[in-house]
Amino acid sequence: MPTENQVLVFLEMERGALHPLAAEVLGAGKQVAQGLNGGLAAVVMGGGAASDAASNVRQFGVERVYVLEHPFLEAYHGEYFCRALSEVCRMAAPTIMLMANTLVGGDLAPRLAWNLEAGLITDCVATEMAGAEITFTKPIYSGNVMAVYAPATTPTLITLRPRAFTPLTAVETPRGEIIPVSAALDQASARTTVVERIEEEGDGIKLGSAQRIVAGGRGIGRAEGFALLKDMAEALGAAIGASRPPCDLGWVPAKAQVGQTGEIVAPGLYIAVGISGSTQHLAGMVGSKTIVAINKDPQATIFKIADYGVVGNYEDVIPAITGTLREILV
Amino acid sequence: MHIIVCMKQVPDPEGPRDAFEINQTSGLVEPRGIPPVLSLFDENALEMALRIKDVHPAGAKVSVLSMGKRVSNAVMLKALAAGADELVKVEDDSLDAGRLDSFATAQVLAGAIRKLPHDLIIVGRQAADFNDGQVGIGIAHVLDLPVVTLARALTVQGCDMRIERVLASGHEVVCASLPAVIVASNEVGELRYPSMIQRREAKQKPVHTWGLNDIGLAAAPRPRVMRRHLYTPELKLRQCRIFDGGSPADAGRNLALTLKQDRVI
Repeated sequence: MPTENQVLVFLEMERGALHPLAAEVLGAGKQVAQGLNGGLAAVVMGGGAASDAASNVRQFGVERVYVLEHPFLEAYHGEYFCRALSEVCRMAAPTIMLMANTLVGGDLAPRLAWNLEAGLITDCVATEMAGAEITFTKPIYSGNVMAVYAPATTPTLITLRPRAFTPLTAVETPRGEIIPVSAALDQASARTTVVERIEEEGDGIKLGSAQRIVAGGRGIGRAEGFALLKDMAEALGAAIGASRPPCDLGWVPAKAQVGQTGEIVAPGLYIAVGISGSTQHLAGMVGSKTIVAINKDPQATIFKIADYGVVGNYEDVIPAITGTLREILV
Repeated sequence: MHIIVCMKQVPDPEGPRDAFEINQTSGLVEPRGIPPVLSLFDENALEMALRIKDVHPAGAKVSVLSMGKRVSNAVMLKALAAGADELVKVEDDSLDAGRLDSFATAQVLAGAIRKLPHDLIIVGRQAADFNDGQVGIGIAHVLDLPVVTLARALTVQGCDMRIERVLASGHEVVCASLPAVIVASNEVGELRYPSMIQRREAKQKPVHTWGLNDIGLAAAPRPRVMRRHLYTPELKLRQCRIFDGGSPADAGRNLALTLKQDRVI
């Protein structure tokens, strides 16, 4: 019989290993488990590699790791994942279940919530105990207001905004009972079929793991303007990002978007060029260690959250920065 | 072919921070000085529907479905002008967007969809106010229909659909049969811009107003999460060191040298 308050975290897999956000999800899970005085369990699902990933979870010290391996779980498919995870939920009987608010989590959590008749609070950035009650906080109105929610069902599902929770660190003695779970998944029951998957690897460094990011906004004015940003990014070893307008206007690929509906990043250095600083963009980068703003409007919001700033036309400023960087960075 | 697009009016999410005033007594946000607009993500959904209508050989009828305490015809006019054929509103005092959760919202929308002919239901990936991103999947669950999320393009051939679905590392092609629910990705792109003539003609398009009893509900369904309170977050301001001496090129050079000196790079 599981501990009375069981907290279950779903850990996504990416390219045959635990998703980089796994430690954050476990960190949030630990916080919730401590608040509720309960145990922490994890669930990993995949094709062949889920068992290895599950053993890796033990380094964080959990009570149990449920593991499901099935050929249909090799890549994410909402219907199969929902069915398999519902099975684990019935077994583990969690009070709270958490997962990352990634593209996968954003599809899986609502499916599971409806299937289990459970409440769901998406995109949470904080959790707290208010007396005996646990609460979860999420930004609403594009981050202009914060809403504090309490669960009304058991279980209640939570998705977590990336970079909002402190990652759990490994413990000295790995701990966690591995519990294999089998799920009956049959192809005939699925109502949608994936016929092909196509990789669209952008050139250059990936945003999610980049230590330095150079991002452009509407102020860049045209697709060609990003060439100057790319030169600077190359000199810095940085990834290229953008606020929403350049993506919507097709100046850069949609996957370059940093912000509430794009990538949420927290690099060591974030250089925002021609970005005024809409709330939904700030939501995606405000956690960066050092922020540099280059904008011709001295009143732009971005300067309020930046550490260094240049007021001026980016076409005049950037080549000088790039030239200097090439001299001083060898 | 009948397409239903669910659309919500929201306070302009790009409005200034102090426009989102919180009434602690009612527990609601009372927007000050910013107009209600169509939720941007729902505009993506409508654009997707109109693209199907553009190419569907037998034509398609696009109905916009919206619910709330009051739904503004003026806000919804933009959807009709862009090419939707009719507007269906479900209005009730209990349908205050600030009080409903996604569970209740999906139940009400599904109730209305049952009363309308539907081959395809398209919704936005999330509302621009509460960003829950649960309603499309909820509607599909209530109506027992297949659902594909994060769709950036789709083609319909007979009763079958091919959907391009966005993934973190690329995309996948998904097949599903109609009727179905599609959650449009923001990658669909912006809603087309209507002409003056379309705007004028839009005022003549049919608008149907229903109450909860018209869709077989006595009251708004009870929420599955409890909202305790709202607060305004503090923007973590930083002291910005501005480089303003000399020419823009000098400023750029000084910035780069300072980043090196401060060991940022």
